Amino acid sequence: MKKVVISVFCLSSLFLLSCQTQKSDPKTSGAKTETVSNAPKVTQIDEFGLKDLLKPNGKPLLINFWATWCEPCREEFPDLVEIGTDHKDKIDLITVSLDELSEINGNVPKFLAQMGSESPAYLLKTRDQDAAIALVSKDWQGALPFTILFNAQGETIYSKQGKFKTDVLVAEIEKL
Amino acid sequence: MKKLNLLAAAIVVVAIFAITACTSYNENSPNPPVAVGTKVENFRLADTSGAERSLDDLKGKNGAILVFVSAQCPTVKQYNERISQFAADFAENGINVIGINSNVSESPEWVRSHAAENYKFPVLIDKGNVLADKLGASLTPEIFYLNDKNVLVYQGAIDNSSSGEEITENYLRNAVEQSSSGKPVERKTARAVGCSIKRV
Repeated sequence: MKKVVISVFCLSSLFLLSCQTQKSDPKTSGAKTETVSNAPKVTQIDEFGLKDLLKPNGKPLLINFWATWCEPCREEFPDLVEIGTDHKDKIDLITVSLDELSEINGNVPKFLAQMGSESPAYLLKTRDQDAAIALVSKDWQGALPFTILFNAQGETIYSKQGKFKTDVLVAEIEKL
Repeated sequence: MKKLNLLAAAIVVVAIFAITACTSYNENSPNPPVAVGTKVENFRLADTSGAERSLDDLKGKNGAILVFVSAQCPTVKQYNERISQFAADFAENGINVIGINSNVSESPEWVRSHAAENYKFPVLIDKGNVLADKLGASLTPEIFYLNDKNVLVYQGAIDNSSSGEEITENYLRNAVEQSSSGKPVERKTARAVGCSIKRV
């Protein structure tokens, strides 16, 4: 009888311990993870913050405007990350998401982490998208993705509305 | 004569070099949107049943609103209800909405089922994105509002909030109200973020 009680006690303890572990392990609990560990920090900006980002700082700047809901944006992202890595001595790369603000700690950093993106990341939240778009380029009608390359003086060297062609963009970077 | 020809050729070569060296590489496609005030030529496209329809057949007595749409674009999905609402509202004032799908990635069957599910107005299939190229449409949703003479009165965004939660600027409705009451349209263009049209 004593052995039975001890056995039941041990088994119960093991069972309870297992439940506790599962509860604290988000991977097995089935609960949605709201924040992503090791994901890049995504900074919220408005059109004034965007204007500051666009100011020349002595180094050519490549900016990609994207959103998690934009399929061509997601498709080209691995190439974008590779370009940023391969040319990090020559250009600064930043990404600006046009997702809803609710995704700033959710799907946006999650996607960036999946892509291995370590470039500064921003999320643009503005009531005046027209003004924000106009700040970036007169050639941008608002379609995503949009990629633009500025030289060190802030002049537009390359822009593309829709998916960029890697060889074309790389060639422009190498000319800088 | 020979020297003149050589000189002319050299000037042409230098000019070409100068132009390509000095201009930024703009890989943008399409063309920029046609300017407000431009008269849009009548066009014919197949609707989702395959029947050919024309702008002049489908427009209302007071004009037409061309809305470039997409079956898959999440931004269009956010706007579908508002698009349907303004289509119903404007039809009462003799302005008919015409949907245009220019996306090469969307099959006619998909466009048909999407249109049947979401809209009560005709959707035309812009095969080869010919109309999109002519008008300089680049994203979805995008509006081209034409008056009764097919002159472009307003081009661009529907409003300033894709989610619909923070609308402070009703660009299209304002343009229609002003134009319909004989007033000049104050805001003739407005841009907002959307999905790029998938072109051939």
